[in-house]
Amino acid sequence: MKNSAFNRRNALKLMGTGGLGLLFGGAAVRGSPSPSSRSGRVVVVGGGFGGATAAKYLKRISPGLEVTLVEPAKRYYTCPFTNLYLAGLREFESLGHGYNELRGRYGVRVVHAMAKDVNVSGKKVVLEDGSELPWDRLVLSPGIDFRWGELEGYDKAASQKAPHAWKAGPQTHLLRRQLEAMEDGGTFILVAPANPYRCPPGPYERVSMIAHYMETHKPRSKVLVLDAKDTFSKQGLFQQGWRENYGDRIEWVGRSDDGRVVRVDADKLEVETEFGTIHKADVLNVVPPQKAGAIAERAGVTDETGWVPVDPGTFRARRAEGIYVIGDATEAAPMPKSGFVANSQAKAVARAIAAELAGLDPVEEPGWANTCYSVIAPDYGITVANVYEVHDGELREVPGSGGVSPMEATPAFRSREAAYAESWYAAIAQDTWGTRPAS
Amino acid sequence: MTHPHKTRLSAPPSGSSHPLRRIIGLFAAVLFLGTTAAEARWERIPEAVALLDGAEPRADALELDLPTVTQNGSSVPLTVKFPGSRAVEQTVEALYLFAPGNPSPEIAEFSLTPALGNGELSTRIRLNQTQTVVALARTRSGDWLAGTREVRVTVSGCITANQNNGENAMEPRARANNRVRPGQLVDVRTLLRHPMETGLRERDDGTVVPERIIQSFEARLNGETILSARFHRAVAANPYLLFHVDPRTGGGTLELTWTEDTGDSASATVEIPSA
Repeated sequence: MKNSAFNRRNALKLMGTGGLGLLFGGAAVRGSPSPSSRSGRVVVVGGGFGGATAAKYLKRISPGLEVTLVEPAKRYYTCPFTNLYLAGLREFESLGHGYNELRGRYGVRVVHAMAKDVNVSGKKVVLEDGSELPWDRLVLSPGIDFRWGELEGYDKAASQKAPHAWKAGPQTHLLRRQLEAMEDGGTFILVAPANPYRCPPGPYERVSMIAHYMETHKPRSKVLVLDAKDTFSKQGLFQQGWRENYGDRIEWVGRSDDGRVVRVDADKLEVETEFGTIHKADVLNVVPPQKAGAIAERAGVTDETGWVPVDPGTFRARRAEGIYVIGDATEAAPMPKSGFVANSQAKAVARAIAAELAGLDPVEEPGWANTCYSVIAPDYGITVANVYEVHDGELREVPGSGGVSPMEATPAFRSREAAYAESWYAAIAQDTWGTRPAS
Repeated sequence: MTHPHKTRLSAPPSGSSHPLRRIIGLFAAVLFLGTTAAEARWERIPEAVALLDGAEPRADALELDLPTVTQNGSSVPLTVKFPGSRAVEQTVEALYLFAPGNPSPEIAEFSLTPALGNGELSTRIRLNQTQTVVALARTRSGDWLAGTREVRVTVSGCITANQNNGENAMEPRARANNRVRPGQLVDVRTLLRHPMETGLRERDDGTVVPERIIQSFEARLNGETILSARFHRAVAANPYLLFHVDPRTGGGTLELTWTEDTGDSASATVEIPSA
C-alpha cells in the first residue's frame, strides 16, 4: 500500500515541472523494493564524523536494521581541535572518542578492522583478514588520503620530517614535538594546498594557534604561510584577527605573489616556489594535495578527480549501485569538507536508506547545514555557517542563509565565539559518538 | 568523459513495460539530444562563427582541461593540449578561447610558432556562471580543431571570491625550467600582478570601476616573436601563462612583455637552454 502511494505521487510529479529533478534524484527509477531489502543489512565503513553518525542514526530510525560499523581504531581522534592541542589549549585525549555508546545504547555492531576491498557485484566488504561483511546497502565515509608525490619531494617518508598533521594521531604529536624543540627565533612554514581539501579554514586556524604558542613560548619566532591559492576561507576575518592578536608575526603569501610551492626538500626543511624562491624552515608543515580515502578507489566510485561523484540529494555514488558516500571523500561543492557537513550528510543518508529498505517514500527534500568555528586566539573565535539544498538538480547554498562573523565586532563578541567553539565541539562529539563532557 | 547516469537512463532495462519507465525513456531521449547538441557549442557564439567563416572544426580534436566544479569563478585554471605528435604543418598557429556564458564571450587569442613545440599552454580565466568553455584552434595547414568543457561554478560562502585590491606593481615574474632532459620542452611560466578590471565592477558607492586590462602579451626569443596573445576581460586578475619552448631552437634570451590598454608595458627575461 505504501508502494502504490509512492508511485502515484511520483508519477504525478513527473507530469509536472518537478519531473526532471526527480529523475536526477533517482527516486522514480526504481520499482518495488528488492527482495534482499527484507534483511536490511547496512555496512558503514569509517568511524569518523560521517560514519559514526550514519551508523547511530540508522539504528535510531530503524532499530531492526543490522548495522555494522567498520573502523580500525578503538578510539578515534578528531582532526577538528587538533590545532588547539598544538597551541597547548587542549589535551590530546580530549579529542578521542570511543564506540561504547553506539554499541551499547544503539546496538551498532562495531568491527575494529581495516576494510581492504569492496566486492560491488557480490555486495560484500572485504576486511584485511580476508573475512567478508555482506550488505544490502553500503555507506562509505572514508575521509581523505594523500596524493603522495604529486608535490615533488613530498611522500610518506618526507612526512616523517616535515609532517602534514592533517589526520589526527602520530603526525599531530610529531608536529607538536618539533614545535617544542624549535629554538626561539625560528621560522614555522605551513604549505597550504589548492582547493579542494579537508577543512578549508584549517590551515589558517593552525597558524593562528601556532602564533599563540609562539607568543607564549617562543616570542621571537615567525610564521610563514605559502599558499597555492589567492583567497581562502574567512580570509578577511583571519587576517584582521592575526593583526589584532599577533601583529606582523604571521606572513601569508598567496599564489600570485609566488606562494605556490612546487618542490619540498624534507631533509633540508626547504621548499621551492613556482617562480624559484627557496624558503628555509625550522619547522615545516606541508598540507599535501588530497583525494578520497583508499577504499573509495577500491570500490570504483571515484572519478578522475580522485573524489567521489554523488547524486545530489541522495548521496548515492554515481558509479555503483547500492553504495552511498558521505563526508570529505565526496564531490559535494559548495558544501565544504568539514566534520559538521559529514555529520549532516550522514543523517540525510541514514533517513534515505532506512526509508528505502522499508519500502517507504524517500525524503524528497533533504536539507544540510554547515558550521565551522575557527579559534584565532584563546578568547578570539570566528565562524562561517550555511544551509544547503538541491536546486535544479544541483547542490547550492540556500540564498540568504548563513554567513560569516561580522568584520566589526567587540572583543566580547569574539570571546563569546571562542567559547561557542568549545560548545560546538562538545555538542557534535556527543551527537556523533555519544561522548559526554567530563563533569 | 563518460556519463554513466545518463547512459543508464537512455537505455532502460529491456523487458520493462512499466509506464513510469516509458516516461523516463522519453526524458532520457530529450537529455541525450541535449548533450549531442552541446558538442557544437561554437555555433552559438557569433564571434566563433565569424572566425570559422564556414569551416567545420573537428570536434574533440584538442583537449581542454578545466576543473569540473569550481568554487571560485574569478580564477579558473585552464590548459589546452594537442594530443599526439604532429608534423609541423599540423601544429597549431592560432588558438581562440571562449566563455559563452560570460557578459562577453571572448577570453583570449594566441598566435603560436613551431618554437613552442606542440603548442600546449595554460592560463587562468574568469567564469561568471556554469557554462561550457570552448577552444578553437587553426593548424598551419588550415584545419580547424575544437574542444569544449563544461564547468560548474558554485557560490560558496566558505571560500571567498578574489578581493580585487587594484594593486599593480607591473613587475612580471618569469621562470624557465633549466633542468630539461633530452627530448623535453622547456617550461616557461610568467605572471603579472594586475587587477584586470572588467569595467563591470561597482564600488560601494555604486560608481563603476573603469575597465583597465592587460591587452596583449608577447614572447620574443633573441628578438623574434614566438608567441603573441591578445587578452579580453575574461582573463583572470594577475594574468598567468605557462607555455613551452623547444630547446632545439638553440635557446637564448626570451623576453616576455605584458602591455596594458593604457599603453604601459612591463617586461622580464629568462634564458632558454639549447638542446
